[in-house]
Amino acid sequence: MAVTLSCVGGLAAESVQPEFDDPALRTRITKLANGLDVLTLEDHATPVVSLQVWAKVGSGDESRFTGIAHLFEHMMFLGSKNLSKLGPEAYTKLVEERGGTINAYTSRDVTVYFENVAPEHLPLVIALEGERFANLEVTEEALKAERQVVIEERRLRSENDPEGIAFESAMALAYQAHPYRVPTVGWKSDLEKVTAADCRAFFDTYYAANNLVVAIAGNFDTDEALALVEKHFGWLRTAPSIPRNPQEEPEQNGERRAIEHFPVRAPILLSAYQGPSTHSPDTDALDIASGILAGGRTSRLHRALVDEARLALEPSAFFWELQRAGVFMAGATLVPGADVAAAEKIIHDEIAKLAATPPSESELRRARRALEVQWIRGQGSAHALASRIAQDYVAYGRIEPLAEKLAALRAVAPADVQRVVKQYLAPHRRNVVQVFPPAADEEGQP
Amino acid sequence: MRCAFAAIAMTTVLAGCASATKPDAAREPFAWEMPAVVAADRPIVDAARLHRRTLANGLQVIVLEDRRLPEFSAGFIALRGAAIEAPSEAGLAVFTAALMERGAGARDKLNLAAAVDDLGADLSLNADWDSLRASVSGLSQDFDALFAVLADVVRRPRFDLEEAKQLVAEQRAAIAQAQDDPARLATKHFMRALYGAHRLGTPSAGLDETVARFGPADARAFHARVVKPPGGILWAVGDVDPGALFARAESAFGAWSGAPLAALPDAAPAPEKRRVVIVDRPELGQVQVAIGHEGIARTDERRLEAQLMNAAFGAGGFSSRLMNRIRATEGLTYGIYAQFAQYRVPGPFVVSTFTRVSEVGKLLASTFEELERLRASPPAGDELERARSQRVGSFPLQLETSEAVMRALLDLEVYGLPRDTLDTYRARMRAITPEQIAATANALVHPERAAIVLVGPAEALGEVAAQYGEVEVVSP
Repeated sequence: MAVTLSCVGGLAAESVQPEFDDPALRTRITKLANGLDVLTLEDHATPVVSLQVWAKVGSGDESRFTGIAHLFEHMMFLGSKNLSKLGPEAYTKLVEERGGTINAYTSRDVTVYFENVAPEHLPLVIALEGERFANLEVTEEALKAERQVVIEERRLRSENDPEGIAFESAMALAYQAHPYRVPTVGWKSDLEKVTAADCRAFFDTYYAANNLVVAIAGNFDTDEALALVEKHFGWLRTAPSIPRNPQEEPEQNGERRAIEHFPVRAPILLSAYQGPSTHSPDTDALDIASGILAGGRTSRLHRALVDEARLALEPSAFFWELQRAGVFMAGATLVPGADVAAAEKIIHDEIAKLAATPPSESELRRARRALEVQWIRGQGSAHALASRIAQDYVAYGRIEPLAEKLAALRAVAPADVQRVVKQYLAPHRRNVVQVFPPAADEEGQP
Repeated sequence: MRCAFAAIAMTTVLAGCASATKPDAAREPFAWEMPAVVAADRPIVDAARLHRRTLANGLQVIVLEDRRLPEFSAGFIALRGAAIEAPSEAGLAVFTAALMERGAGARDKLNLAAAVDDLGADLSLNADWDSLRASVSGLSQDFDALFAVLADVVRRPRFDLEEAKQLVAEQRAAIAQAQDDPARLATKHFMRALYGAHRLGTPSAGLDETVARFGPADARAFHARVVKPPGGILWAVGDVDPGALFARAESAFGAWSGAPLAALPDAAPAPEKRRVVIVDRPELGQVQVAIGHEGIARTDERRLEAQLMNAAFGAGGFSSRLMNRIRATEGLTYGIYAQFAQYRVPGPFVVSTFTRVSEVGKLLASTFEELERLRASPPAGDELERARSQRVGSFPLQLETSEAVMRALLDLEVYGLPRDTLDTYRARMRAITPEQIAATANALVHPERAAIVLVGPAEALGEVAAQYGEVEVVSP
């Protein structure tokens, strides 16, 4: 049995008048009897339909084995009772052979499985998702090969990539208590020791109907799709509760620093600051602050680091929204031979200036406009639309109308930007990572 | 927010009163056991939204209307790029494009950037082997301002001396930075091993020694050589009125003239024997691998056959032979991919992957076995049909957005391919026979003269590499 809750459009008009047709407002939200939320958004102008299953579990939920959320995501592709006879990677092959794409990703907060296919293949991909949720087989044999694949992924993204090294190190500094400190891909030692039984237990704990959101966007018929989702997911169990890690990050009371030695020509510099959760009203001001600092050639860091000091090519700053506590990062890959300390001083001085004096109206308007355009342009595909509605629903429990997102950005004043920079990007809250080669005479270094 | 939460709370009460049962396998065939549904081909290009015009000076104008969102992109393409550079000027197309962004018309670099940033828009200039491209994108309400910026950077770049000096320093730093990236190192040395002194043998962004000599006069001369209306294309996609765009094109670009385009480069000779190169990076625990040889040009008549064959071999995701064996079965890598890189001159056929140091021997053996098997047992029967179904099925999905359709249309123009190519693609792909695939595999796959590049610790790799030929060890 399914109950249609609402069309988001009914909620939007009373707050902010949209300036154009916001496609996400047509989303229909349906809750199945077992607690599964299904978001459907028809758009017959596209030749594609995107099916996404969002599991509200990420590496931030791990307790014993790091990397298990992501490793498990890989296991979801390796076989199930009724598909294993078709050979390895049968899910992927069945979708690819019909021209579709199938993939998944894991973050600190969520694990997302998706298929983008032609409309006639939607029934197949709903059935395939249902099959792996119903009849997943997690065997030691499959795990043996896959853990090596994941260890190679770890080498690619973290161990062999200096920017990956810097990022991993910065997260470990910024979070001392919260599991966000651990890389989503996990530590090699844990990947080597986790068993099929551990993966199974992970599935049993977190993959319950009331911890999942199904989003479908693009060219399809809502009633037909809902009937199929009901058929293939309606039997999924409801968990009485989903365990969450209790840790909350204590306030940081002094700068933390890490040096990573890696034989790079171009040193890397990264400053990380723990920020508020995704539910905080301060996230918009932090996004705008990141734009003022490093959004484009006219930004403060670009002018100071690239045009004046000539120490870097492309400085970056961003606020990474996370459910429990986000992180603000500012940094740059420096030009070969650059003075790392000088570059660090420039970045921290620019942040201090923004904390001391509010940005000008025009500077704020510029940063805000970039975010507005990004929102408006970022919904051209069925996949992007499905991602947007699912992301909103998982984070806020509803679809946030675009007009509301834009209004929130427009409500940010220069003083707000100054306040959040002063509050969150204070010197005693920063975590600085430098990546550079070891000195030639330093022993025991790679 | 309150409304949605209230509704959820209300229906949660209903949750216990209904339940569905776990599906019973015996009752009906599974969806994946049913014959694949085949829908009629939907047209790729909506003719009613596509508008073309050629100005008197030879400049082509193409507009693809899509008024659903209040945004647009527009750009200019010059139909020559890095491939026409002499060896001594390697990197000049990339340098020229980058310098065009640093001041144009009445605005210096910062004022130009501010004009774009103030609108939350993007301005992008770049060059590849076969073209030099400028584009803007933003909200349609800002079309006039952004189109003016586009016209300025294309027609009136300032090429200031100080900006050129800074850019030279930045490009040289970028070239050095790229050497920290194992994948880019592998590509650089693979192309050198395969193409040697031919222009393709040196990165399109050039070398430190060539870039170091560039000044504003070089950029100005290259700009005059390639950025001009004959053969140039002005395009726009999105929330754009075609009539207004044509009028604006006429006023901004109509009085522009230029000589015919520069001659096209010659193809490189095919390599005669296998070459093995180790790029020594002692600290790496994972080795980047590139294996391949000469391939085909973008206009090669066998390109569809090559694409279909390669979908089964190495470009078809998990359905491909390489992924199936080397990742799914042997667990040697996270990714392995083969491609025919196609330019105006033939580009390489290359397999790219990576694995831990201890498994490089196994990975090379498996990959070479698969290359031999591709020739000895080319895809046929079910395997070929699955690859074909993938290519045919994925084609409209890749062209979902109007921007993607415009990119594909521009690619046809750059390479002089027929304008109906997108709408005939699926029929042509369906018509390819197994015999054509076998002939293509025999003609285009030559593992015996493949170049092999390994980026990793030379000391640990030397013995394995030596099994494939004489080894050259180089510094990054």
